[in-house]
Amino acid sequence: MASNIEKNKTEADEHEIMEGHDYDGIGELDNPPPRWIMALFYITIGLSILYGAYYFWLDIGPNQDEVYAIKSERHDQNFASAKAPAAELKLLTDEAALSEGKAIYTEMACSACHGIVGEGNAVGPNLTDENWIHGCSFNNVYEIISNGIAVKGMTSFKDKLSPEKIAKVASYVLVSLKDTKPVNAKAPQGEPCK
Amino acid sequence: MEDQKFIYDNKTVKLFILATIVWGIVAILVGLIIAIQLAFPAVNFGLEFTTFGRVRPVHTNAVIFAFIGNAIFAGVYYSMQRLLKTRMFSDVLSAIHFWVWQLIIVLAAVTLLAGFTSGKEYAELEWPIDILIAITWVAFGANMIGTMIIRRVQHIYAAIWWYVATFVGVAILHIVNSFELPFSLLKSYPVFAGAQDAVVQWWYGHNAVAFFLTTPFLGLMYYYLPKAAERPIYSYKLSIIHFWSLIFLYMWAGPHHLLYQALPDWAQALGVTFSVMLIAPSWGGMINGLLTLRGAWDKVRDKAELKFLVVAVTAYGMSTFEGPMMSIKFVNQLTHFTDWTIAHVHIAGMAWNGGIVFGMLYWLVPKLFRTKLFSEKLANVHFWIATLGILIYAIPLYWSAVTQWLMLREYTKEGFLAYPNFLETFTQILPMYYFRIVGGSMFLIGFLLFVYNMFKTMAAGALIPQEESYAPALVELGARNPKAETIHRFLERKSVRFTIVSFIVLAIGGAVEIIPMTFVKSNIPTIETVTPYTPLELAGRDIYIAEGCYNCHSQMVRPFRWETDRYGEYSKIGEFVYDHPFQWGSRRTGPDLARAGVVGGAYYKNAAWHFNHFMDPQKMNEQSIMPKYPWLAAKDINTKIIPAKIRAMQKLGVPYPEGYDKVAVEDLKKQAQTIADDLKASGISADPNKQMIAMIAYLHKLGRDISAPVTADSAKAEVPKAEVKSLPTSTADIAAGKEIFARICAVCHGAEGKGLATFPDLTDDKWIHGNTPGDVVNTITNGYPVKGMLPYKSQLSEQQIQQVASFVLNGLKK
Repeated sequence: MASNIEKNKTEADEHEIMEGHDYDGIGELDNPPPRWIMALFYITIGLSILYGAYYFWLDIGPNQDEVYAIKSERHDQNFASAKAPAAELKLLTDEAALSEGKAIYTEMACSACHGIVGEGNAVGPNLTDENWIHGCSFNNVYEIISNGIAVKGMTSFKDKLSPEKIAKVASYVLVSLKDTKPVNAKAPQGEPCK
Repeated sequence: MEDQKFIYDNKTVKLFILATIVWGIVAILVGLIIAIQLAFPAVNFGLEFTTFGRVRPVHTNAVIFAFIGNAIFAGVYYSMQRLLKTRMFSDVLSAIHFWVWQLIIVLAAVTLLAGFTSGKEYAELEWPIDILIAITWVAFGANMIGTMIIRRVQHIYAAIWWYVATFVGVAILHIVNSFELPFSLLKSYPVFAGAQDAVVQWWYGHNAVAFFLTTPFLGLMYYYLPKAAERPIYSYKLSIIHFWSLIFLYMWAGPHHLLYQALPDWAQALGVTFSVMLIAPSWGGMINGLLTLRGAWDKVRDKAELKFLVVAVTAYGMSTFEGPMMSIKFVNQLTHFTDWTIAHVHIAGMAWNGGIVFGMLYWLVPKLFRTKLFSEKLANVHFWIATLGILIYAIPLYWSAVTQWLMLREYTKEGFLAYPNFLETFTQILPMYYFRIVGGSMFLIGFLLFVYNMFKTMAAGALIPQEESYAPALVELGARNPKAETIHRFLERKSVRFTIVSFIVLAIGGAVEIIPMTFVKSNIPTIETVTPYTPLELAGRDIYIAEGCYNCHSQMVRPFRWETDRYGEYSKIGEFVYDHPFQWGSRRTGPDLARAGVVGGAYYKNAAWHFNHFMDPQKMNEQSIMPKYPWLAAKDINTKIIPAKIRAMQKLGVPYPEGYDKVAVEDLKKQAQTIADDLKASGISADPNKQMIAMIAYLHKLGRDISAPVTADSAKAEVPKAEVKSLPTSTADIAAGKEIFARICAVCHGAEGKGLATFPDLTDDKWIHGNTPGDVVNTITNGYPVKGMLPYKSQLSEQQIQQVASFVLNGLKK
């Protein structure tokens, strides 16, 4: 600000009070308007013309109803995947998915209740044996992780994990942990898998 | 040439200054009271006349038209005589202007508090007062033009260009926005309806800001700033460019108050683009002001009047940048309906308008009274306390706006609104309102110091009411010499032509927007199912307006998912064709009501709920800040006026059958009886003649016309029953259920589930819709809309519903 004023002061020395411009003692200088303010004015006019062209004359931009429809659909898609039913997801067997499943198992602290390698502990059941309390199909396991078994202390993970991640960790349990016969394995609970 | 003797009228200037001071105290004090009411609703003292909805328009009108208005006139009457070297044209017109204006202010305060309002913001005053305003304004304009004609100065100075634009602009705005059809001594309906009324109203509202709070103040700046700084105006050319571009562009920008609302896209686009184009013309004024101070900055350090003027001009620059930014559609979704706008207008009002007024009067009063300012030190204290007060007022409100906006649009990971209850977002920002009270109090304290300083100065000095002066007579220059004189310079010595050109430049913007909205049918796509209000609903609507409900509740759902998920279908232009006036609102202190009548919608409440809520909102929502409205149950509906209302609406094109005015009251009574019966079935005995009944009828009309009718049968048929055999019963689940219950269900069923008013007790053995886990889950999921139980499937996940059901069945004390 200060430097501007200094500059304008020297400029002002060249511009004298205009002749005949004396109004109750107020004079007027014949300085031109600062160039940047005029540039700003022309830029905003140009932008406005572009805006009009984009939305009306060339009719490229969507109108208000269309914008809502587009955004609303995107919104539904985003959350549809978050709420996708398990049927659309399948048991994964590829290495990448299984190792990611393992990472999720560690990250979400599944081991706190199910042991480091799925051997089970005082809280949660053994995940490596043949026996299952709430079913042993992929869909069963997916549901257990997703919705939890609240009465027994199994947390619901659908607020914390995307369906894909749940599918991966379920696959890790069903494929990688299966029949690993870890030491300190907890005694089998539930029904044998059919 | 020989000097002529003439006499300045200082008496009128003094009267306007005194009025400015007196109304200033009133206006700021009323503002402080309503700020306190927002944080502590009990401060309305339980009286209808002192309740927020009625007092808020008193604050806005008092600030704008009483405090700021009188200050403008004081400044104009002083500077105009000096700039034109003559006395004002007519003493009679000056006297009419002053005294009728004060009468208008008194009438405004009385009628607004008594509940007479047009329901249009900043134009609330009813038709007889509108006529008085028009008369006074014409007196002011005639006096101004007359003074220009009898002047002794060849050219008209820039300050006066702005005064002329003010007169012409406000005249156009006031007349067009006051097209209204009276149906009683103090009540009228506006000629325009719905979206048309909205365009006219905000063309007015926006340009009232332009031509009452901007152009006259730029005029005052062009006189008092160079006078106080004793410096010449920086650039004559800039004066010309920013004057014409500003007054031309401003008139187009009104629709930026209606972005994302039920308005054609083209009108919204004009609002956006013309607002953006206004940045440079507005800043032209700021730059010319600040650069005029070159070489005078040392004086700014010492003199309070210059400090105020500098802060004013800087705040003007900030606000006129912020305004266009708020007019960009994306930004507007945050700033509209939140406290952002409140902060914005208070920076402009307190710092820009207030700053110019204080700066002007600290300079003018000592001069007028031929003395020195009583205390320069006190003036500096005023400056700092006011500036700090403005910041403490505005910054928390910006914070509040962002907070509330973020909360309103937040979704949980499952795709549900994170804060489905509007009140949660409000409770979050309530602490910011305490800061506002502090900031407002500081501004008031500063103002009182100013008043003391002014009166001490006046007492020390002596005003010369009729001041002699001398100047040579004006010799007309005649025809323009194209080589020696620019067209603009020529126009500056042709005052009447100057006024006419201003009129044309000003009229274009409004005409381009209002004429097509009014006459081109395609702009208002009609909806067949939308029907006129029944007489009872109309009576209710007029009570809604009289109580100023629109000051806190909008009726406009914008096309965002976070609004449609919360309120329901977004608002359509065709819904409002019978709304004289429109009631879209501008700030949501409470939730939107556009879908309050959609049975099964998130905001539908049954008659019993409304009855209890009006009687005591805090009983239904503990943290609500809505005032109690017990007088609605005590006051009768004025049925005598109903036929006149129906006839007025018919004249405005509302298709009531011919002769309907004669049977309208009968219809009103029939409908009132059904609502009273409904209430009785819920155990509330209500008199069908009371205003409460009309209000309930009106609220149940809102949005109903475009929703599918819901009957007991259709509600049952559609709904698949949830199959739930067992519920989660862990302590964590019950606790989660309890938390949800307290947040959502307690509103109707009570914190302990004992049931409020007519809503069922959940702790006893009697169950209306069954008490198996499946029944309870089903009741919560799908609701019983006709009875007022909402469906929660769009607000709660299945798991959450089960947790609540489990809490109801297992967690509530029997």
